[in-house]
Amino acid sequence: MIKFLLLLFKPFRWFIEKMGADYNQFIGILQLKLIMDNRRMKGIGNNSKKETENALIKQSFGQIFFGIFFAMFLIIVKSPFTYYYFAHTFLMAMMAMMIISEFTTILFDTSENVIIQPLPIKGNTISLARNAHVLLYLSLMAFNLSVISIIVAIFKFGIVSALVFSFTICLNVLFTLFLANMLYLVIMRFASGEKLKNLLMYFQIVIAILFMLAYQLGVNMVDKTLIRDMVLPVHWYTYLVPPAFFSGLVEAFTSFIFDYRHLIFIAEALIIPIIAIYFTGKYLTPVFNRKLMDLEQGDRVSKVKVETARKSLWYRMMLAVFVQRHEEKASFKLVWIMTGRERLFMQSFLPSLGFILIMVAVQFFRNNSFDLNELVHSSRYLLILYAFMFIGTTLPTSLLNGNNQHATWVFKTVPLSSPADYFKGFIKAAFARFFIPFYLVLSVVICCVWGYRIIPDVLIALLAIYLITMLFYYSQNPSFPFAQDKIATQGGAAFLRIMGLMSIAAALGFLHYFLLRWFNFANLLLIPVYLIAIYYVNRIYVYKKINWEEVDEVNAYS
Amino acid sequence: MSNQTIVQIHNLEKKYGKKQVLHGINLEITSGQIIGYIGPNGAGKSTTVKILCGLINDFEGDISIFGKDLRTHTLEIKKQVGYIPENAVLYESLTPMEFMEFIGEMRGLETELTRSKAEALMNIFEMKPNLNQRISTFSKGMRQKVMICSALLHNPDLIFMDEPLSGLDANSVIMVKEMLIHLAREGKTVFYSSHLMDVVEKISDRIILIDQGKVIADGSFDELNKLSNDENLEKMFTRLTGNTNHGEKAEAFINAFEK
Repeated sequence: MIKFLLLLFKPFRWFIEKMGADYNQFIGILQLKLIMDNRRMKGIGNNSKKETENALIKQSFGQIFFGIFFAMFLIIVKSPFTYYYFAHTFLMAMMAMMIISEFTTILFDTSENVIIQPLPIKGNTISLARNAHVLLYLSLMAFNLSVISIIVAIFKFGIVSALVFSFTICLNVLFTLFLANMLYLVIMRFASGEKLKNLLMYFQIVIAILFMLAYQLGVNMVDKTLIRDMVLPVHWYTYLVPPAFFSGLVEAFTSFIFDYRHLIFIAEALIIPIIAIYFTGKYLTPVFNRKLMDLEQGDRVSKVKVETARKSLWYRMMLAVFVQRHEEKASFKLVWIMTGRERLFMQSFLPSLGFILIMVAVQFFRNNSFDLNELVHSSRYLLILYAFMFIGTTLPTSLLNGNNQHATWVFKTVPLSSPADYFKGFIKAAFARFFIPFYLVLSVVICCVWGYRIIPDVLIALLAIYLITMLFYYSQNPSFPFAQDKIATQGGAAFLRIMGLMSIAAALGFLHYFLLRWFNFANLLLIPVYLIAIYYVNRIYVYKKINWEEVDEVNAYS
Repeated sequence: MSNQTIVQIHNLEKKYGKKQVLHGINLEITSGQIIGYIGPNGAGKSTTVKILCGLINDFEGDISIFGKDLRTHTLEIKKQVGYIPENAVLYESLTPMEFMEFIGEMRGLETELTRSKAEALMNIFEMKPNLNQRISTFSKGMRQKVMICSALLHNPDLIFMDEPLSGLDANSVIMVKEMLIHLAREGKTVFYSSHLMDVVEKISDRIILIDQGKVIADGSFDELNKLSNDENLEKMFTRLTGNTNHGEKAEAFINAFEK
């Protein structure tokens, strides 16, 4: 597989050398990077190292699955220009998000510098190899996301059209890589060191939330019949919009129209990505590399703000509410502190809070209108409250993400009879620090709209969410916090678990709704039921589920 | 506590998959000693230390520490043991104070006591100003110092050290060596695994040399010296591990890269 991927660069040897790189060294570095990716470790057991060579395949299936949904939306579009315009816009947005969320670590990875930098490597070779590495993954992702759209295009517009579409996808990938480089350079211009890393993290979170918002708007607020018959008008500024170049080129070969408008699109689609990639290789990557080295040097000296949890009143209140056992206290405090600093955690968890906000907003503005009177007399607040269930799956998985695989030895050296106490403290801290305040604020808003009569429902939903979060966390692999590669936490088993627990969550929501309808105050029956269930999960289930044998199996202690 | 048997190892064996790493190690360690545990790369030093600290549970043979079986009394043993691992990997987003507070709490120390001890220990390494800085900004040596301080927080009776001087500056090395001697005088037992022959030779009351998972020499430096007449531990080490032809190897090495 690696050999095949490397062969893809052979026809571009002249181009790589023109960029000021040594081709053989370029291939050597790329090969090293691909081998390392291939051996990216999953759960590193104490004695057995499982390698996830198929992690990429699993991820590919997820992307193809996502592509199906988008193709289902595209299938109704009649105009080829509109079809390909949406397809390219979707692809660009997905790739931009992917570069920001997944490839930032690859682009900013300087770990191999210690090996590669002392070697006599020619000019731009390292930076070009870094970009080629990202390019390979982007191309694979673009193909996965578009494969269904390409198949749909064959049936809708013919084989030639689909082939040209595939070609424009390659051009789109090149252009998006250029945009990403530009974006990073602009960000690096204004920040460095820890600040830059934080800035990128918040940027990633905002992009993820915007993407969800765009999706919700698209699904809920756009009339499907409008999309079906939509023919995008071409204004003067359309020539400046990248997806328009590519869709214009495909349309020209689909409908065999070669008027001046289409010729401009064709010229733009062919020339701009080539110039962009030349510009990236020749001018942007050396600057990027230089900035990256500054960043690495800057990291050693950059000052970081350290806040003390002990001083926080909220921390002390939550500690008193959630922690009964002394053994849990230390792990509660540890995770309370670290959740505020671990970027991978925040990057994967904070967008889910944004998603919930969007889901809440959608309930308020359903059917493109806002009727407060109708809203107050509906039970839609239950939908809002149970939307928070989303946290039940995202918080436990986010807690796993991090680069501290080899720091977990500390948990094994201190005297603790059951590791369950650690895990109870971990999840309670994350829940108390990030979820409770968010839920409280939104509950106040909801209570202002629906009145104080729904306060018991707010409490019941909170108990249900807490129960589901605990269950999900305790049922996943007992990996210590912030100690798993992000890619390793997205396995098929996790997906099934998410689906299973979301079904339970939906069932709990329906049960709540049913009891409300049955007779007055019937919903209150749920309070003791949930309290008993939470007691059982935290006092009995967790100790049965999490023991040292299982913990040793999935954690590395050295 | 002097001359009490602290660690008793009987026929210790360990396999990683099919590879046998330890082949029936037998040892008896008494209190108030510094044990220098040496051996070539891959000899099984770190594995032994990890087993004794309770990091690796699946091993063959019997181990008792403080007269208690390691398998059945792991918790009681861990309470009296301190461990400094080979690689100074810590949770990077924490500060040394936060890290030590965690260790202190898990070991049942009062927070205020932990804090005052952490300050005092870090001050000795001239790292008091760094107590509230994130570990991610530290050099390897600074991380190692944090590790040493956190291993000693609870005043353990038995200390396992796996290359504890790695990355430390010269002054800190001297300080740690002196500290180990003082600890032994107070009746603590130090199990010191290292590659640094000169340090082991100078501070150890007893030297245990292992090779390919077997103990091949055991005794004080003087005792071993009487038997072998080697002028220093380095010479003894190379002879006992069968690597006396260093000169030839160096020549072959030079020839290989000058080709």
